[in-house]
Amino acid sequence: MANSQRMNKADFITSLLLTFFGLGVFILSLHMPTFKEVGANPYSAPGIVPSALGFILFILGITLLIRSISRKGYQIQLSLNGFLFLYRKQSTRRFLIALFLSIIYVLLLGKVNYFILTYFYIFLFILFYEFNFKKKIILQKKVVIYAVLEATIIAHVLPLFFNIYFWLDYLRTLSYI
Amino acid sequence: MLPGILELGNQLSQFLTPKYILDILWSVQLGIIVGMLPGLTATMGVALMTTLTYKYATDRAVLILICMYVGAIYGGSRTAILINIPGTPANAATTVDGYPLAKQGRAGEAMGIATTGSFLGSLFGMLMLAIFTPLLGNFALKFFSFEYFWLTIFGIVICGTLTAPKDPLKGWISGFFGLFVATIGMEGMHAYRRFTFGNVDLSGGISLLPAMIGIFGFSEILIVMKRPIIEVVESKIEKVIPHPAEILAYWGTIVRSGIIGTIIGAIPGVGEDIGAWVSYDFAKKASKHPEEYGKGSLEGLMAAETGNNAAVGGAIIPVLSLAVPGSAPAAVLLGAMLIHGIRPGPLLMIENPEFIYQVVAMLLLASCAMFVLGLLFIKTFIKILLIPPQRLMPVVFSLCVIGAYALSSRIFDIWVMAVFGLIGYAMKEMDYPVAPAVLGIILGDLLDKNLRRSLILTKGNIIPLFIRPISLILVLFIFFTIVSQTKWFKKIWESLVRSKKK
Repeated sequence: MANSQRMNKADFITSLLLTFFGLGVFILSLHMPTFKEVGANPYSAPGIVPSALGFILFILGITLLIRSISRKGYQIQLSLNGFLFLYRKQSTRRFLIALFLSIIYVLLLGKVNYFILTYFYIFLFILFYEFNFKKKIILQKKVVIYAVLEATIIAHVLPLFFNIYFWLDYLRTLSYI
Repeated sequence: MLPGILELGNQLSQFLTPKYILDILWSVQLGIIVGMLPGLTATMGVALMTTLTYKYATDRAVLILICMYVGAIYGGSRTAILINIPGTPANAATTVDGYPLAKQGRAGEAMGIATTGSFLGSLFGMLMLAIFTPLLGNFALKFFSFEYFWLTIFGIVICGTLTAPKDPLKGWISGFFGLFVATIGMEGMHAYRRFTFGNVDLSGGISLLPAMIGIFGFSEILIVMKRPIIEVVESKIEKVIPHPAEILAYWGTIVRSGIIGTIIGAIPGVGEDIGAWVSYDFAKKASKHPEEYGKGSLEGLMAAETGNNAAVGGAIIPVLSLAVPGSAPAAVLLGAMLIHGIRPGPLLMIENPEFIYQVVAMLLLASCAMFVLGLLFIKTFIKILLIPPQRLMPVVFSLCVIGAYALSSRIFDIWVMAVFGLIGYAMKEMDYPVAPAVLGIILGDLLDKNLRRSLILTKGNIIPLFIRPISLILVLFIFFTIVSQTKWFKKIWESLVRSKKK
């Protein structure tokens, strides 16, 4: 029951986004050129299909909006306690760590050498989940050694293997990242 | 018939060399491992393998991809049986009876039945592929722009309905969103840049492979990392190879599930998961012991596994005959064929007819390898399931990055992968099926060009779009699919059924 109520609220927000998105696509498509001035057939205009899709997305958004309103999805109550409860959940933390590390990795690609970046991404990923910062490193040396080994193999040995077996010049192309 | 069999024999003989046999064995085994690991799907496996094999000769690359596809769809059954989590979405129905069997200490028996069911299902799908691809291909030669336009809409509507049976509205939203995504970038008629907002990278459009790697790879990584640590059921793995009499006892279920799986697989975008569920549902209705279903029924397990692997062959039928994928992994396969210079579609029958038999031979070899490898090394490879996700998922993500980057060597494609991963995650969390969106991205170009071509031909008159015979049938199908999902239709239908019973 609580889950379906949460879904109705999510549907309400999504429907609003979708309705405005569909409307935006429709309006932008109507402003696309028809190329009539260069003698093109008006039915070949690039805006025809996107405008139709924008209109359909708008209608689907409105349908979802009406349905979510009828199911009282508009009763959204935001509170600090709610956010704190969500943040304290183990699953949320696990998700956020994976998301944060992966997004940072993607954003740094092209700015930092691929091999170094991938090494640190894998190393830190394992440490963030397995390393207990309250315990001494000596007691957790197995975790650190495993992380170093895995990071080295994936960041350096795997591209080398791909180079040899699949004839892909990954070592050169990846070094350009 | 005879020329077809001869051509198949000819193609088979070409693949029976040490080099190809080695490729078949490693790619099927890798597929099984990919399928086994939660968070790694068949689609992602095939997508990553596409980027790795693009320098290989066409036949070798397609062979590896088909082997990976078949292996992954089967491999997911092990996870479904041992940890009650489907390794790939295709194995969701397998958990219903597979996991109770493992809890009863019959994991080995369950895996044997799943392997045999998958093998027979694959063979059934292969047979249907050989028979129906040329027939459908010849029929599709009658298709013009009008029919192709309606075929794309039909694909989106039916895929949206079947992949979101509880809430088809979300399936349709997903599909039309996918169609919109396909319109981003330079269009084919006037080279006009749509929705690029001056961004040069967007002019080339959203590439299919990075988007799919994001939707099926990155989003799954986030889902797996969110999940609590999973535990493998401690069950002795004995008696893996089933007795032939046990299999023969389920011949009716095998044939029924094979037919259903192939038909469902051939419906655009629907895929193996629905094939397994529908097969399972039909088997339960036809069973003499429906009360055993859900409590460890071998028949139910057989139905689910036969259904999902039969859908593999089924999903390749529209790929080859219409250039429309039957499932998400088949969509990647279609993309891979295009990368390697093969042009699937009705003209394939004229331009490259032997390729169809080549694919049939590949499917046969992949199925045989899956059967053999599936019954061997079970205990060895199950240990892979014990790898903690935090050690496996960063490796998968780095492979996603390589996969997204490899084909065009563009950082932009890595961003596309990440953005579509986040979109895919949000969609999955809010119960939106991702398969219609993927189908939309693939079919968007077909829809765009064919609608405009049709309007040019008819000078803007939309009536001819509805009155051509094939178009009319497709329009009626679309109309009834949508109407059948409305509340008032369901009420009328129920009252009609009730009055008939009285």
